[in-house]
Amino acid sequence: MNHAEQIADATCEIFSSMIMLEVTPKEAGKRTDPAFSDSISGMVGLAGTVKGNLAIHLPSSVATAVTTAFLGMDVETIDDDVCDAIGELANMLAGAVKTAIDPSGSDIKLSMPSTVYGDSYSLDCLDCGVSVLVPFDLDGTEFSVELLLAET
Amino acid sequence: MGKTVLIVDDSNTMRKIVSRALRQAGIDFDQILEAGDGQEALDVLGANSVDVVLSDINMPNMTGLEFLKAKSEDDAIKDIPVVMISTETGADIIDQAKALGAKGAVKKPFTPDLINDTLGPLL
Repeated sequence: MNHAEQIADATCEIFSSMIMLEVTPKEAGKRTDPAFSDSISGMVGLAGTVKGNLAIHLPSSVATAVTTAFLGMDVETIDDDVCDAIGELANMLAGAVKTAIDPSGSDIKLSMPSTVYGDSYSLDCLDCGVSVLVPFDLDGTEFSVELLLAET
Repeated sequence: MGKTVLIVDDSNTMRKIVSRALRQAGIDFDQILEAGDGQEALDVLGANSVDVVLSDINMPNMTGLEFLKAKSEDDAIKDIPVVMISTETGADIIDQAKALGAKGAVKKPFTPDLINDTLGPLL
């Protein structure tokens, strides 16, 4: 199973079992534009025999809708609850990818999740050997999950 | 008499999700306590009567494995069963957790049924 398939399977499982939302993966590719607008990104670093970053990128409106479904409470703007929820989604996704790459669990360590959000920000990779971005459809809206791994 | 569970996770979101899963699993807990890391969990165990602990592994300040070790060295709380609930479910990590006294492990993402199957035999 390649990285795009791992991301697609893990994302569908997490959204279905934890948030009760069905998402549909689209064709995987690479992110060409480092800029995001009115969005939030949750990220977890991977370190060890493989080094990189797993991120989930959502427009703010999608992030609040996902958090509303996740927590079962109305959320209208990006706040601490949204950051925590999106960080935890990144954490679960990174755990799933790590399990696929490192079944023993001893060769790769995960960082604590972090989030960045705002009207305009950029995320770029300076040393990418692997770059996979999988877009997902969620009731006509879109978000993406990205795996960046350094050259080995 | 209902039982008391302690949920240990640095994510407020995940503590809410685990609480919801416990209710959906139909497990009758009289009280659900929360802690944000291992040290907070030790403090809660020292001040309350807790029947079972659900703990994350990857946490700041004191990790789940460090919490298990500290708990095992305290005679007053060492016999309280702990189930790990984490994205970190590699065989090596789970073996470490079980060697430190963990009674089981649940992988995130999880379902209420999985929580019930794991916790049921401990209550």
